[in-house]
Amino acid sequence: MKKEFKYFSIFNHEKEEEYLRSQHQHGWEFVKVTGIGMYHFQECEPEDVIYQLDYNQDTNNKEEYIQMFVDCGWEYIQEYAQFSYFRKPVSDMVDDERIFSDETSRLEMLERVYKGRLLPVLVIFSACLLPQFFINLSNGRYFLGMMFGGVLAIYIVLFAYCAYHYYRKKNQR
Amino acid sequence: MDAHTRKVYVPMTETGFYILFCLQKPNHGYGIVQLVEKLTNGEIHLAPGTMYGSLSKMEKDGLIRFVNEVEKRKIYEITALGNEVLQLELKRIQRLYTTSREVI
Repeated sequence: MKKEFKYFSIFNHEKEEEYLRSQHQHGWEFVKVTGIGMYHFQECEPEDVIYQLDYNQDTNNKEEYIQMFVDCGWEYIQEYAQFSYFRKPVSDMVDDERIFSDETSRLEMLERVYKGRLLPVLVIFSACLLPQFFINLSNGRYFLGMMFGGVLAIYIVLFAYCAYHYYRKKNQR
Repeated sequence: MDAHTRKVYVPMTETGFYILFCLQKPNHGYGIVQLVEKLTNGEIHLAPGTMYGSLSKMEKDGLIRFVNEVEKRKIYEITALGNEVLQLELKRIQRLYTTSREVI
């Protein structure tokens, strides 16, 4: 067994997939990810195995969801932060297989991540921070106002970063 | 047919077409994957993430309906609206095909 701490942002799931594949190629089979990014591996025969992450919030139909992947030959590993982890050995594939077979559905997954993860944060951000910023400034509490302003600035930078990632991916292929 | 349906499904993706085409008879997601493979002599291989997402979306948009569930597999069939969209798409494909036979 070995453990490795790794951080991947929600828009870097492709890097995470490559990381898990590379571990498996070096004889470390992915077991689970826990906490804030602790990856657990166990020793195995080195093999080329494709790892895939899908973002699925529909927990009511989880069994049917997993069944479809299993039918198509994908092993379900776990769910972590609403991402489902699947893998399939390259030797079991007819040609280059992934869990999405067209561009539309690949982008739709990114949109689900956006709507599921960023939108709620954006709502909280608009509902709490923005009024606080203005209330404090207009009441002369400049220090507090600036603190909220600082958090706002961090948010804006983060959103810009995510939006940039999304559009780059959208135009990539 | 409303503007949303028209915008999203006319024309539709290749995946969308195969799903609607197959669901003229009730079937489940993996059944569609297998049927499409057979119909296209193994040339089109639909992936599960694509299939699951498309089925959920088409059900939500009223193009297909849930019939029943057998061994954790949801069976769907095409609706009247779905059939209307499919006929439009078939016409479009036929027109493309006819045009492609022309000599220019």
